[in-house]
Amino acid sequence: MARRPTAPPDDPAVRERFEREAMPLLPGLYSAALRMTRNPADAEDLVQETYLRAFRGFGGFEEGTNLRAWMYRILTNTFINAYRKRQREPVTVPDEDIEDWYLYDKLGEAGVEASAESAVLERLPDEDVRRALEALPDGFRLAVLLADVEGFSYKEIAEIMGIPIGTVMSRLHRGRKALEKALWETVRERGLVAD
Amino acid sequence: MSRIDCQQVLEQIELYLDGELSGGLRAEIEEHLGRCAPCMDHSDFQRRLKELLRARCGCDEVPSHLLDRIRALIAETHGPPPG
Repeated sequence: MARRPTAPPDDPAVRERFEREAMPLLPGLYSAALRMTRNPADAEDLVQETYLRAFRGFGGFEEGTNLRAWMYRILTNTFINAYRKRQREPVTVPDEDIEDWYLYDKLGEAGVEASAESAVLERLPDEDVRRALEALPDGFRLAVLLADVEGFSYKEIAEIMGIPIGTVMSRLHRGRKALEKALWETVRERGLVAD
Repeated sequence: MSRIDCQQVLEQIELYLDGELSGGLRAEIEEHLGRCAPCMDHSDFQRRLKELLRARCGCDEVPSHLLDRIRALIAETHGPPPG
């Protein structure tokens, strides 16, 4: 990854503020980096590069604005620029029709009562849920990750990913449906419902 | 006040659960969910799916050396911290 030499933020107060405000964001950023890169070594590299870039830009960062969204934007851009290029994977979810309420209906068809449907999901191992999310193509995975895991608003996601809000909504909708399909396959593989 | 029906509610559930609806429509959906058990079941399921993702995909343990490594990297490229 090329590093451009820039003037270091010499002001000790800037450094202290970075330590105080940006460093506590590390756990969330690391989890997000893991979901993006899908492996711990790349996630560490991505997070390190993100913090280095953020520190370089922090002197110009306006206090009181949304630091968390700004950091996730740097994380996302760094990921897209550095990692996506070398991946060969589909850029969209399969265009097959996945019905709305896919998972809800499939569980219902398998005889699971509405009140017990979410209990079935609770029995899925963490690793299966992570794998289902990580299997989504980048643009869809990032949208679902930023909305459902990180809790960002559509407007924030649009700014973080650099795409229009309409595209955020469509990627979220389609990404979630693809995720429901993957989760349903996992539920069946794990034998959590009767075939 | 015109009441929205189940289909309209289910179409808006995603936006509703994402906290993206304005006050009027949000209130109408809340009112509908309060009196319509099937829609409430759908809504609860979708909400729990979101919660499941948040609980399972956002809490990975940070490697113990990572924070120090980031500090070292910043010190290496920008000089040691003040004080």
